[in-house]
Amino acid sequence: MAESLEKLHKRILSDAKLKAAGIVEQAEDKSKQILGEAQAQAQKDADDILSRASLEAESTRRSILSSRIRANRLRILDEKNKIVQSVLRTVEKSLSDIASSDQFESTLKRFVAEAVEAVGTDNAVVKIGFRNADKKSLQSLGQSLPKGTKLIAEETAVDDLGGVVASDPEGKMIFNNSFRARLERLDNELLTTISLAIFGE
Amino acid sequence: MSGIEAVRKIVETEAQAKRIVEEAESRAQEILASASEQARNVRQTSTAEAEQRKVQRLRETREKAEADARSSDVETDSLLENYKKLFENRKDVAAKKAVELILGG
Repeated sequence: MAESLEKLHKRILSDAKLKAAGIVEQAEDKSKQILGEAQAQAQKDADDILSRASLEAESTRRSILSSRIRANRLRILDEKNKIVQSVLRTVEKSLSDIASSDQFESTLKRFVAEAVEAVGTDNAVVKIGFRNADKKSLQSLGQSLPKGTKLIAEETAVDDLGGVVASDPEGKMIFNNSFRARLERLDNELLTTISLAIFGE
Repeated sequence: MSGIEAVRKIVETEAQAKRIVEEAESRAQEILASASEQARNVRQTSTAEAEQRKVQRLRETREKAEADARSSDVETDSLLENYKKLFENRKDVAAKKAVELILGG
């Protein structure tokens, strides 16, 4: 009886140790699985962070560069505009002083002829006004005008810079051939001419 | 050995076996807790490293972009300087052509 009791004692302990070993082994397997999954997830998280960082970095780079390039384009446009405006002021000064140049008479005749033709009437009214122009010389132009045309020599420059304005007797049809009006009509060509002359473009 | 003594011996053995299993279960819990802790550390470390690399990458990108932007500034400064020279050299010609356009246009 003592012998079989000893066998039972050993068997109970053996079974318990076997079960205990299984429990620990299972826990170790589970532990490896947890670590493996954690490493995989950690790698995925890191990849996500770096992927977002790449997008953010590219966005930041574009933002910095485009902002600066835009600012520099504005500086260039501003400088070009200043230059063109400066030339335009010189042009306006030259035009307003035309009465003292040798181009005055031919220019005046051409401006008057254009204006009268544009109004298209035999009895047009032509107003002329230039800075520093001799009124007598303006009135002498009347001799070269078509018959029926009325010439009015103004004391002051038409539209500040000088020029010619023709109309029909009722004032319904008006053609403004002042320097100011011509500057406005030729605005695009003028800017192109100045830009081409200064910048070559 | 009497019957009572035999029963007592079996009871003691069962108790010993139970302790062995309980110790194993306790050990298993420790293993799992340790694994969970290690897993948390692995993820925290990995995330922290990635965040550091992110900050570094953003800083490098910003520095490179600022350097490129400064190049654009220098290029623009040079262009503007050139415009001023062109203006000084060509302003009279430009004004003359513009006046001719207005007078003759």
